[in-house]
Amino acid sequence: MTGAAAAAAERRAIRVLLVEDEEIHRVLARALLRAAGGVVLDEAENGAEAVRRVREGGAGAGAYDLILTDRQMPVMDGHEATRQIRALGVTTPIVGLSSDSLAADVDAFIKAGADDFTPKPLSKEKLNRILAKFNLA
Amino acid sequence: MDYSNLWRQIFSMKKSLFDQGYLDEQYNQLEELQDDSSPNFVEEVVALFFKDSSRLLTNIEQALEKYPQDFYRLDSLVHQFKGSGSSIGALRMKNECSMFKAHCNDRNLEGCRRSLQKMKREHATLKQKLETYFQLLRQVGPRERAVNSRK
Repeated sequence: MTGAAAAAAERRAIRVLLVEDEEIHRVLARALLRAAGGVVLDEAENGAEAVRRVREGGAGAGAYDLILTDRQMPVMDGHEATRQIRALGVTTPIVGLSSDSLAADVDAFIKAGADDFTPKPLSKEKLNRILAKFNLA
Repeated sequence: MDYSNLWRQIFSMKKSLFDQGYLDEQYNQLEELQDDSSPNFVEEVVALFFKDSSRLLTNIEQALEKYPQDFYRLDSLVHQFKGSGSSIGALRMKNECSMFKAHCNDRNLEGCRRSLQKMKREHATLKQKLETYFQLLRQVGPRERAVNSRK
């Protein structure tokens, strides 16, 4: 068993909510999270669906260990979804994702209540950094 | 069957795609995610990109022809294209998208039109090169690919 797989086998499964409207990014994130191991993945295609899933999952109990959210999405964008999730009292780590990493975009995510930001595309290294940062590795 | 000559062609073609700036490290990330449970992962993701990007190019072209131009919508479409391209490591297209977005920001219609033409050319070239590359890979088959990917 590889080091990463062994570590994944030891920790309990982590629940991740991926909020992303573009299929190609969902396919890539799914593959990366599967490779990381020990991840139970939920997906939402826009911010409104993400807020609903968090609310229905028991906002107070913290249904998710990590939320990864895109910025630009139809119906509700990642900034607004982050604001509404925080308004529910959810303290789950939220990481914003975007193809642009302009300071204004990053600031907007952080001001909305996100804990971190990573520019797309998601990679093994970026995912490992996020998991390690929030003690999910 | 001796695949060594075929593999030489495959490696040479891949190296040239990187050396000429068509692909970047993100493409290697896709290959690392390919395994026995997803033996065609790379080709599937690339196919997704070309499906998305063809639609987006059409939408961008239509948006450019509208009057008055909606630069916000144009920027949004190019943003999607850039993100999709960066997922497969399409470096040249990603760079051209950045130029396009700069033209949108400046409300430079002629600049946007020039960028679109460049994007279409790069798109067609990359599609043709990757189709040739995948045709070579298919000749070696998934089992041989898996063995060689671990070398």
